[in-house]
Amino acid sequence: MKKWQYPISTMAVLAVLSACGPDREGVMEELETEPATEENKPESLHIWVNDDERELVAYREIGENFERETGIEVRITPFSMGDQLEAMSLDAPAGGGPDLFYQPNDMVGSITLQGLAADIELTPEQEAGYLDGTLDALTYEGELAGVPAAVETYALFYNTEILSEPPTTIEELEAIGEEYTNAGANEFGFLLESKEMYFAYPFYEAYGGYIFAEDGGDYDTLDIGLANDGAVEGGEVLQRFHQEGYLPQNLNADILNGLFLDGSVGAVFSGPWNIAEYGENLGDSLKTAPLPTVNGNPMRSLGGVKAWMVNGYSEHISWATELAVFMTNDESAQIFFENKREIPARAEVNLDDELYEGFQEQLEHAYFMPNVPEVSAVWGPMGDANVFISQGHDVREVLEETVELIEDEIQIMGAGRE
Amino acid sequence: MKEVAPMKNHNPKLASMLSIVPGIGQLYNRQWLKGSLLLLVTAAFIFVFYDIFNMGYWGLFTLGTLDGVDDSRVLIGQGIVAVFLTVFAAIMVFLTMKDARRVAKMRVEGEAIPSLRERTKHSWDKGFPYLLVLPGLALLLLAVVFPLLYMIVLAFTDYNLFNSPPRNVLSWVGFQNFIDLATIPIWRQTFISVLSWTIVWTVVATTLQIALALFLAVIVNDKRIKYKKLIRTVLILPWAVPSFVTILIFAAMFNDGFGAINSDLFVPLFDFAVPWLSDPFYTRIALIMIQVWLGFPFVFALFTGILQSVSDDWYEAADMDGASRVQKFRFITLPHVLFATAPLLIMQYAGNFNNFNLIYLFNEGGPPVRGQSAGSTDILISWVYSLAFENSQYSMAAAISIIIGILVALFAVFQFRRSASFKEDR
Repeated sequence: MKKWQYPISTMAVLAVLSACGPDREGVMEELETEPATEENKPESLHIWVNDDERELVAYREIGENFERETGIEVRITPFSMGDQLEAMSLDAPAGGGPDLFYQPNDMVGSITLQGLAADIELTPEQEAGYLDGTLDALTYEGELAGVPAAVETYALFYNTEILSEPPTTIEELEAIGEEYTNAGANEFGFLLESKEMYFAYPFYEAYGGYIFAEDGGDYDTLDIGLANDGAVEGGEVLQRFHQEGYLPQNLNADILNGLFLDGSVGAVFSGPWNIAEYGENLGDSLKTAPLPTVNGNPMRSLGGVKAWMVNGYSEHISWATELAVFMTNDESAQIFFENKREIPARAEVNLDDELYEGFQEQLEHAYFMPNVPEVSAVWGPMGDANVFISQGHDVREVLEETVELIEDEIQIMGAGRE
Repeated sequence: MKEVAPMKNHNPKLASMLSIVPGIGQLYNRQWLKGSLLLLVTAAFIFVFYDIFNMGYWGLFTLGTLDGVDDSRVLIGQGIVAVFLTVFAAIMVFLTMKDARRVAKMRVEGEAIPSLRERTKHSWDKGFPYLLVLPGLALLLLAVVFPLLYMIVLAFTDYNLFNSPPRNVLSWVGFQNFIDLATIPIWRQTFISVLSWTIVWTVVATTLQIALALFLAVIVNDKRIKYKKLIRTVLILPWAVPSFVTILIFAAMFNDGFGAINSDLFVPLFDFAVPWLSDPFYTRIALIMIQVWLGFPFVFALFTGILQSVSDDWYEAADMDGASRVQKFRFITLPHVLFATAPLLIMQYAGNFNNFNLIYLFNEGGPPVRGQSAGSTDILISWVYSLAFENSQYSMAAAISIIIGILVALFAVFQFRRSASFKEDR
């Protein structure tokens, strides 16, 4: 071939290649959803239940109730919650996904960006009865991505053999640290995993810090309030706790649980997932309480909502939504709680165990984690900042630097680059 | 075979060109059965794989056009399969062209043409070893080459959290990810500091573990040592315990405030707690020590085996010439041992370069560094992990993975070429 022939033949090949491809008439229309009617009622709906024996038992019972009411069979596949998203992202577009899957609210942004969950529309009657804030926690860019099933947050566990009363103010908390801490003997007044932002958040928030500014349910990810005066004040309180020796460095969940179970810690910040283990070991001396107050206001803990989400590629989106609502109604929520012992997202459910009281009280002040995907750039750097603060670095400098880093990372993530 | 009259007008070049569609050239050569069989196979091939070619090439060029319908990840996969099939088809076409040309030449010269049956028998005898290798090769293609190509392709797309399939289609960005890595300050600084620690870590930890193994192997191999078997067994023990168990135990032991090393050893003896997990320097020391502990038994076992094959005669001869201990070690033991083990030692370096388990399980790459998103002990592979699975920076992670691959490959090639065993093999 002569020189001029190369570009021309390349063009020809490219033209041929891009001319072929799939036939797509009517592909877009197929993705439209219809309302749930008797005519389009499916024979069965397929759901992925978190791979946990107690959860499976609960949902088998709930599924049978649904079948009795509607005649639709509920097929259950055990599937670990942590692995569901990856499988959804690959299988769902190919038609291999379930009708409903189960995810926490902090994944909502990412799920929406990947287009995996259908936009759910609930009637006002259907919306009633869920705990305050849970539906907002599942709404991203004005679209509801899931139906709330369970909530969690942390509160205070205390050991009545050391503390007869729980600390109700942060001053009392500090006093407990001063009175009972003997780091040499591994005895502490109170403990929390301060290097995890999840547990350190109440300190920043209590004095005026915030993660993203909020405006009517929308987050402004350009306005990060983790280096303002309030956040700095909160960071200084954490730093003081470390410098006074109340909080040790390099504390992780294993060590914290071990020390608390040994009976050498007065109180710990921890979640309801530890109720069973703590209760077995400490028996009647275990009690729970909400977090202490700062300047008269309750500390706000971070919380999460786990929710049933409808596969956006499902052929029965409307019926799957009906099932999601059924699985989280008061009756089903009661069945769920009796088996799984996780706090359901329904206000009317009776939790007949006094160890849940502290958590229920704290839930009223819980701040459900922002569901925007940008928030994933916050946890790592803020965790690092907590480490620097615990080591005695200048709090304001550390926080300002960290916020800059978070802003850089959000930009690098590709936000707004479209 | 019967005598055949030469066919002067038969054209080998034409036969070869006709075989661009396998079978036609053979028909032209009057190999009716072979030609029609080949034509049939060609038709079947095109019929069966038409869709894959159609979608695959289209997908590879466009990466999809409709958001929410076209899944770029699937299209890339189909595209790679289409490329595989094309390469396979090209090889087959080339072979049939060669065959047509050869047979046509035989026709011209009037040589007897072996029948299909004879040819089949011949190629069965000659091709049998290839046939046995084939499943292995196919598996290699599927399990190694395919993911590798997939990763390379991803590095040139814009796959991140805010642009993820299936909702969005990806697009080609050329070398943009590599350019970002070199030009955006936060990427560049992090990349350089992670890369330099990775290199220091690889060289120091591996060299130390080899040195320790060599020292112990030579000592244990000494004639004066009794209970050799017992000592060897004990020394190999760290290798027998699954490494992630050991690493997690070490992580607990090295904890600054609660670990056994500080609370039972350093504080009682020296009244001083070493910040094993909070100071980058000490964390690095701890990591290197743990890796030496985990890695030396394998090299030790290797060296012990080789040392036993070193003939005593050589040492006796050296004694006669009045060689010193050091000289005997330097000129007999060391070259002998290294000569035999060089390729495996290089693998040790490559293994530590990508020793994700240790770094991640010990301290997750911590402690943190001010103003940097990777931790102070993050090596490239653990950084890639956090990019891909914590920050959803898929295409950037793929780009860095390519750089890791190139570095390891360069290092391995360089070392293999220098090592004596490789030269010998040629």
